[in-house]
Amino acid sequence: MDVKGKRFQDFTKRNEIIKELRGKEAREKQHSKGKLTAKERIDILLDPGTFDEIDAQAQPADAGFGTVKKVMGDGVITGHGKISGRLVFIYAQDFTVMGGSLGSVHAAKINKVQDMALKMGAPIVGLMDSGGARIQEGVMSLAGYASIFYRNVASSGVIPQISVIMGPAAGGAVYSPALTDFVFMTNKTSYMFVTGPNVVKEVLNEEVTFEDLGGAPAHAKKSGVAHFIYEDEENTLLGVQKLLSYLPSNNMEDAPQSKTNGATIGPVDKLRDIVPDDANKAYDIKDVIKLIVDGEKFLEVMENFAQNIVIGFGRLNGKTIGIVANQPKVLAGCLDINSSMKGARFVRFCDAFNIPVLTLEDVPGFLPGINQEHGGVIKHGAKLMYAYSEATIPKITVILRKSYGGAYCVMNSKRLGSDFNFAWPTAEIAVMGPEGAVAILYRKELEAAENPQQFKKEMAEKYRLEIANPYVAYEKGLIDEVIDPAVTRMKLIAAFEALENKQDLKPARKHGNIPL
Amino acid sequence: MKIKSILVANRGEIAVRIIKTAKRLGIKTYVIKSRKDANALYLELADDAFEIPENPAFASEFLDIEGIVALAKEKKITAIHPGYGFLAENPGFAKRCKEENIIFIGPSHEVIYNMGQKTIAKKIATASGIPLIPGSEGEVKNVNDAVKVAKKIGYPVIIKAVAGGGGRGMRIVEKASEMEKLFKQASSEAEKAFNNPALFVEKYLYKPRHIEFQVFGDKFGNVIHLGERECSIQRRHQKLLEEAPSIALDEKLRKKMGDTAIKMAKAVKYENAGTVEFLLDKDRKFYFMEMNTRIQVEHPVTEMITHSDLVEMQIRIAEGEKLPYTQSNVDLEGWAIECRINAEDVQSNFSPNTGIIDMLVLPKGTNIRIDTGIQERSAITSDFDSMIAKLIVHGDTRTKAIQNTLKALNQFRIKGLKTTVPFFKAVLNNKAFVKGNISTDFIGKELDDPCYHEPEEEMLAALLATVDYHAEATSYKESNLEHDRRKNISAWVLNKRMKSL
Amino acid sequence: MNILFKSSDSASTIKYITISDKSKFEVNISPENIIKVNKKVLNVQIEEGTDGFTYIVLGNLKYPMEILERSQNKYTILINGVSYKFTVETPISFNRKKHLEKILDGSKKEDVLAPMPGKIIELLAEEGAAVKENDPLLILEAMKMENEIRTHVSGIVKKINIKPGDTVMKDDVLMEIENNN
Repeated sequence: MDVKGKRFQDFTKRNEIIKELRGKEAREKQHSKGKLTAKERIDILLDPGTFDEIDAQAQPADAGFGTVKKVMGDGVITGHGKISGRLVFIYAQDFTVMGGSLGSVHAAKINKVQDMALKMGAPIVGLMDSGGARIQEGVMSLAGYASIFYRNVASSGVIPQISVIMGPAAGGAVYSPALTDFVFMTNKTSYMFVTGPNVVKEVLNEEVTFEDLGGAPAHAKKSGVAHFIYEDEENTLLGVQKLLSYLPSNNMEDAPQSKTNGATIGPVDKLRDIVPDDANKAYDIKDVIKLIVDGEKFLEVMENFAQNIVIGFGRLNGKTIGIVANQPKVLAGCLDINSSMKGARFVRFCDAFNIPVLTLEDVPGFLPGINQEHGGVIKHGAKLMYAYSEATIPKITVILRKSYGGAYCVMNSKRLGSDFNFAWPTAEIAVMGPEGAVAILYRKELEAAENPQQFKKEMAEKYRLEIANPYVAYEKGLIDEVIDPAVTRMKLIAAFEALENKQDLKPARKHGNIPL
Repeated sequence: MKIKSILVANRGEIAVRIIKTAKRLGIKTYVIKSRKDANALYLELADDAFEIPENPAFASEFLDIEGIVALAKEKKITAIHPGYGFLAENPGFAKRCKEENIIFIGPSHEVIYNMGQKTIAKKIATASGIPLIPGSEGEVKNVNDAVKVAKKIGYPVIIKAVAGGGGRGMRIVEKASEMEKLFKQASSEAEKAFNNPALFVEKYLYKPRHIEFQVFGDKFGNVIHLGERECSIQRRHQKLLEEAPSIALDEKLRKKMGDTAIKMAKAVKYENAGTVEFLLDKDRKFYFMEMNTRIQVEHPVTEMITHSDLVEMQIRIAEGEKLPYTQSNVDLEGWAIECRINAEDVQSNFSPNTGIIDMLVLPKGTNIRIDTGIQERSAITSDFDSMIAKLIVHGDTRTKAIQNTLKALNQFRIKGLKTTVPFFKAVLNNKAFVKGNISTDFIGKELDDPCYHEPEEEMLAALLATVDYHAEATSYKESNLEHDRRKNISAWVLNKRMKSL
Repeated sequence: MNILFKSSDSASTIKYITISDKSKFEVNISPENIIKVNKKVLNVQIEEGTDGFTYIVLGNLKYPMEILERSQNKYTILINGVSYKFTVETPISFNRKKHLEKILDGSKKEDVLAPMPGKIIELLAEEGAAVKENDPLLILEAMKMENEIRTHVSGIVKKINIKPGDTVMKDDVLMEIENNN
C-alpha cells in the first residue's frame, strides 16, 4: 500500500478533522463552564488505551426545517472499552458539537452501541451533556429518543445500564436515565427536568432557577431520581468505576470477586456495643454495616433520599452483596412511602443480577400520618413486600433490635421467603412496642391503677420480658438462630456461602403485577 | 468506729480511686450500677454492684438520697463515700446518713450547709477577719451609690448584674468619670438579658490567680493544710489543668494563706477533707472565695507532692482517728501537674465528643499517675460528664514537671474520640505558662490557638489524604477484580439462571 | 545518535493539589510511589504499630493518625488527635473549580445544610437578617443533644426553609445565605 498516496492522505485528513474538532477550542469551551469534554470524560472513565471508537465520522441527517451544519460524529462519541479490565459500551454526548443535540443519526449511533452491549452482555454507560432534541429534524429526533427508550427497556434486567448526567438533560432526554439502573449527577454543572424554568414561569408564573428545579441536590434529596451525586466530574467518573466493580456484566454472569478482600476473620467485638441498651436511643446503622462488610467498604446508593432506609453494595468474603437496612437515626427507622420505594427498586435490581441481599432490621413500624395514608403508603409499602417475595436470590435478614407489626412482615421475614433469619439478643419481635401494647391490653387496669405511670412501666417491662424478645420467634422457627452480634459477619459469610447455589423457581408467567 | 464496708455513691474515676484505697485498707466496697453506664470499670473493681430502683424524680441514680440510704441499710454497709459532684455537697444527704447511723465520709451536714450558702460562708469569713473581695455587698441603687462604693474600695471596679452571668450586664470601670455611662449600659443590658436591671459593684481583680488550699480537720479540733494547688487554667470557670505547688507563692505567702485557710476551717470546726479557695491578685493580695466540703477532682497533685493518700485520711478521720501528722510534718516535695483529659473537640469550641472508645493506650512511667474510670470499649455518653482520665505527672521542678507531662501526653493514644490532649500540649508549650505567668484569663488572653500542632503535622495530614485518594482513584484501573468471563459457571447455577428467565 | 530509552520523571507521575481552608499542598506520586510534596521528595512510611494504632513516619517524626471521614475527594484526617479537613484535586479539576466559582460568583449563595438528621428547636436568625461568619443560625436537636448550627460566611439570610418543630434529614437545605463579600 502506498502510505503517501491519496487514499492514505484522505484517511489521515479525516482523522485530523476529528482531532481538530475535539481539540483545544472544544476543551476551552467546556473547561470554562467547569466541565470536561466528551473525549476527556471517556479517557478518565476507561482503562488507559482501551477505547475504540465507532461511527466517528457519521454525518448529521438533513434538516427538515432550517439548516444543519455537516459535522463529523453528530454530537456523540460512541464505542467500547474496558473498566477494571472488563468490557463496557459507552456513549458520550459532545456539547461542543451542535450543543450535543439529538438528531436521528446521533440516536442511531447510540442505538448501535445499545444493541451491541445487549448482544455481548456488557454494561452500557451513557455520559449525557445535551441541549435536547434537534428541532431542525422534527419528529425524526423524537423518534430517535423513542428508539433509545425502547432499547433501555429491552436491556433492563439483562445488562447494567448507567446514566451519567454531566450537563443539561431536558425534555425527552430525561427519560432514558429514568429507565436505566443508576443515575449519576455532577453537582453544579448538571440538571434534569421535563419542563424548564422558562415554561414553569410562563405557565405557573413561578420563579425557579435551573439549579433549584433540576440540579443534582434536588434530584438526590427531593425527587430521588439521582442515585449518586458527586462534586466534580472526575469523582463522578470514579464513582461509576466503583459501582461497576460490584456488578456482574449481565444477568447470567457472576459479579466480579475482589482479590484483595482485606477481610477480618473472627468475631468483631465492637458490634456488641453499637446498639444502645435503651430501646429509644438512636444509633447509626452505617456503623453496623461497616463492621460487617469487607474492609469497612460500603457503597451507599441514594445516600440523601429517604434516609430512614439505607441501601448499597458491599462485599462479604470478596463477593458482592446488596444491603437494605433500616436507619434508626432518621425517623427512628420507620418505613414510609419513599423508603419503601427506594428499598423495593434496589431489591429488584439485585434480584435481576443475582446479587444476594442482606437485610438489617431495626424498624418500629410504618410512619403514621394523613400524608402517608393518602399518599398511598399501602401500595408503596406493598412494593417492598412484593420485591422481597418475588426475589429468588439468597436472602438473609438480621434483626438487630425492633421488629414490630407489618414492618416485621415487610422486612424479608421468614414466611415472606427469606432463607435465613438471624436475630441479636437485643431483638424485640412483636405486633407492637411495649408501651402501645400495654395501653391496649390493660386499658381498664390502667384506668383503675393507683399509679398508672408505674403500672404501665411494670407491665411494659413484663411484656418486654415475655413477648418482645427474639425467643418466641426462635421457638416457633421464625428465627433460625439467635446470634452473638460479634459473630454476625462470620455467620453471614457462612450462610451466604451455603446459599450460593440456591435454586428457587417461580411459576411461569409473563410478568407479575407489582403494585406500581 | 471501724469502717468495714463503704458504699461509693459515685461513678467513674473517683469511684475507682476510692475503691483502690479502700481495698488496700481491707475495706469492702460496694457501688451503684447505672443502666446508662453498664460497662464501666468501677463496676468490675468493686466487691459488688447494686441497682437502685429507677425513680423518675431524679435525673440519675446517684442523686436519689432515699434510694442510696435504703440500699446502704439493706446491705448493712457501714459508711458512704460521696466522691465529688452528685450528692457530695448535699447537706440533706449527710443528714440522712447520720440519722440512719451510716458514717458519711465528709464533714457534718451543718458545715456542708453553711459553706454551701455563700452569704453565710462570707459572714463567717468576715467574722474571722478573712479578706473577701471588697464590694457593695448586694445591689447598688444608682450611679451615685456605685461611685461611693468604688471610692471606698478603689478603682478599677467591676459592675455586674445581680441576676446575671455570662458577661452580659458586666462592665469594668477604670475611673469615676466613666461610671455614669457604663453603669447605664450595664443596667440596660441586664434589663434586656435577665429582665432585672439590678447591679452590684465589686473590686476588679486584674489577672487573678485561682489558689486553693487543701485542709484537713479531725474531731479533736486539729486542722492542718497540705499546701496549695493552683487552678488558674480554666475555661468558663471549669478547671482544666491544676498544679501544686503554685509558682506565685513563696514560703511567706504560703504560710500566710495557709494560716488563713486553717483559720477558716477552725471557725466552722471543720472535720475531714476540705478546700479553701482564694483569688490572688497581681499585688499578691488574696481574697476568700468559697470552701468546698468534699474531695476535689484535683486532689492527686497534692497527694503527689505530699506523698499522702487523701482518701485514706478521709476514711481514718471518719472513723474518728486523729490526724496522722501536724503542720510541721507536712513537706512539699517537687512539682505535680494534672491534666483533665476530656472527650471534647478542642477545635470546635470544646464541644463534647460522645462515642465508644475503640482503642486506648495510657501513658506509663515512674512519674506518671493515671486516674481513670474508663477502659477500651467504654462509651462516653451525654448522660454523664466527658472525663476520660486525669493525667498526673511529677517532676523535681516545675520545668521538669512540664517536660514530663508533655512526654506523657505524647504517649496517650485513643481511637474513637477526640480529646483535650492537643489543648494541654498548647498550654504546656505556651511561653507565658512556662514562665508561670498565668491567671484565670489565660485561655482567652494568652492562648492564641487552643490546639497544639506538631511540626509538619498539617502537611502529613494532607499527604495522607492524597495518598489514600490516589490509592482509591487508581484501584479501579488495574484489575483488582477476578472476573474471567470464560470461567465456567457451574451447570447447576447456569441451569437455574436460564430457567428463572 | 539514537536514543532508545530515557527515564522520565513526569510522564506517568500523577499530580494532586490538596487544599484546606488555609493551606495548599502540591503532591506528586509516581508509579514507583516516589512522593513529592511542594516539589520536595519525602520519605514517608505508614505503619501499623504493635499497639494496633496506625502511624505516619517521616524522618524522626512519628505520629498516630487515622482517616476520620472520607466522602469522594473530601477528607477529615486525625493526626496526633488534631483533625484536618482536606480536599484532593487534580490540577485540571482545581482549575476548573476556580472557573466554576467565577461563573457562579454572581449568585454567591451559601446553603446551610443539616449536618445530621434531627429536629429544629429554635431559629436564631430571621429572613433578611445580616449575619457574620460563625454567627449561630439555629438550634438543631439530634441524638438528644442541642447543636448550634453556624454560618461559614457573612451575608444576608435569604430564605429559611424550616420552622421550629420540623424534622430534617442530613444535608437538607435549612437556610440560604447570600454572600455579600
